[in-house]
Amino acid sequence: MSNTPVPPSRVSERAGVLPKKPNDKRPANEPDFSTLLLSWLDSHRASLADSLRRLGRQPIGSFFTCLVMAIALSLPMGLSLLLDNVERLGGSWQRAAQISLFMQLDVDNAEGERLRAQIAERPDVAAADWVSREQALAELEQQAGLGEALKELPENPLPGVILVTPKQIDKAGLESLRQHLAELPGVQQAQLDLLWVERLDAILGLGERFIFGLAVLLVLALLLVIGNTIRLHIENRRSEIEVIKLVGGTDSYVRRPFLYMGALYGFGAGLLAWLVLVYGLDWLNQAVVRLAGLYGSDFALAGVPLEDGLSLLAGAILLGYIGAWLAVARHLRELAPR
Amino acid sequence: MIRFEQVGKRYPNGHVGLHELSFHVRRGEFIFVTGHSGAGKSTMLRLLLAMERPTSGKLLLAGQDLSSITTAQIPFLRRQIGVVFQNHQLLFDRSVFDNVALPLKILGMGKDEIAKRTLLALERVSLKDKAEHFPADLSTGQQQRVGIARAVVHQPALLLADEPTGNLDPRLAAEIMSVFEDINRLGTTVLIASHDLALIARMRHRLLTLQRGRLIGDGEAA
Repeated sequence: MSNTPVPPSRVSERAGVLPKKPNDKRPANEPDFSTLLLSWLDSHRASLADSLRRLGRQPIGSFFTCLVMAIALSLPMGLSLLLDNVERLGGSWQRAAQISLFMQLDVDNAEGERLRAQIAERPDVAAADWVSREQALAELEQQAGLGEALKELPENPLPGVILVTPKQIDKAGLESLRQHLAELPGVQQAQLDLLWVERLDAILGLGERFIFGLAVLLVLALLLVIGNTIRLHIENRRSEIEVIKLVGGTDSYVRRPFLYMGALYGFGAGLLAWLVLVYGLDWLNQAVVRLAGLYGSDFALAGVPLEDGLSLLAGAILLGYIGAWLAVARHLRELAPR
Repeated sequence: MIRFEQVGKRYPNGHVGLHELSFHVRRGEFIFVTGHSGAGKSTMLRLLLAMERPTSGKLLLAGQDLSSITTAQIPFLRRQIGVVFQNHQLLFDRSVFDNVALPLKILGMGKDEIAKRTLLALERVSLKDKAEHFPADLSTGQQQRVGIARAVVHQPALLLADEPTGNLDPRLAAEIMSVFEDINRLGTTVLIASHDLALIARMRHRLLTLQRGRLIGDGEAA
């Protein structure tokens, strides 16, 4: 066989070389920017579709992977929501740090109201409420179930109270405010009970720390789950990856479908976790409402706020993406063509 | 196009793959590399594909020193090379069209351009009518031609082939070689590693003979 030269026009035609414009200085194989951009977008679309197809081919396996991730996500999130409810039950911090001014028994409603207005104008006070002697007695009867016993008393023993809500809740500031209010005329006693506030603060702090530790551990577990799942996908596509690398595919090109797969697992897990939390809290709420009712309270668990659900979903997608990225980064080095 | 200057390749276990190999290949040349198993043919191809690096000497490909190429540059180097394997390395879950189109997708070409070039490459290996088939539907010879179409679809400057006719009968082997010659006539430098001496002799191209990692012959096949 001999090397017979072929005319340039026929050469182009046979090799699939398309004629270039005379002033086009780009190499024959280098597309322009818009073509590259469209191709890049198309490559992302193809990677996403391919990842969806692959997950769809193993529906049960994909579902269980998502479910394991969902459980890992819903545990800390669920505990955090429960803690929020406990905080709500205990009242806000400002309410918990209220200063109660017990008035002398001879302070009437008009005087009490005047003093309340005077206190409310202070710059370090957020709000001041006047509770008259009659109101105090009615509340006590209602809350403690002592109606009959209280009726036996010759006169109302309860003083009027001004409930002062401070703007700042630092301990030193509160104590200074309490002392100042105690010196006002007509005030019998100014009470600031910080001990239970501090105890509740400590308990909630412990709860938050526990949830944070649990969340860290479960996030690590989740990264391992997603990493291991992606590793199996990489193993299944080893020969494809080797070919892609041999024909000039970059690491980012190889990585792309796996990142989509990780994000899709995260999306599925986030949705499942959201559902688990919504139905789980609803199920728990029935028992909580019944228990609260026995104590004469209308307390009910708050559900999953939309913004918390969306954050959960976004976080799950991000975790899936990061897990996949770590898995691919770790295995990409081993996937050099052989 | 290719310049080996005292290139050596020694593996960590002490085995010497290539021993101070020196030769050069001009642009547009058609060249065979032969030798017994373990002579260094595959090592040479692996060095050219930057799958391994020389441990001594200098290896230049189109002016680029492969001894000092960075990992990030390797994909871009490989885009200038087409490679054909004895076992084709086709993706069996993709159609013939998608297999051949793969290098163009990686290059970032537009859909229309990819379709045009892929069908032209398949036409060149007489498989245009099999574009929508899957590799498993094809004969061994046809699979090898799909591998060749994939190797040349992006018009590489250099085409490497490692025992491309190893699994084929003589008639199919001759057919595949004529495809390589067609590609070479279009200006692509072709380097084929083969131990099929009868086939090499019929082709009458430059022949490098390796033995235990050393170059022991460089001339036209006779």
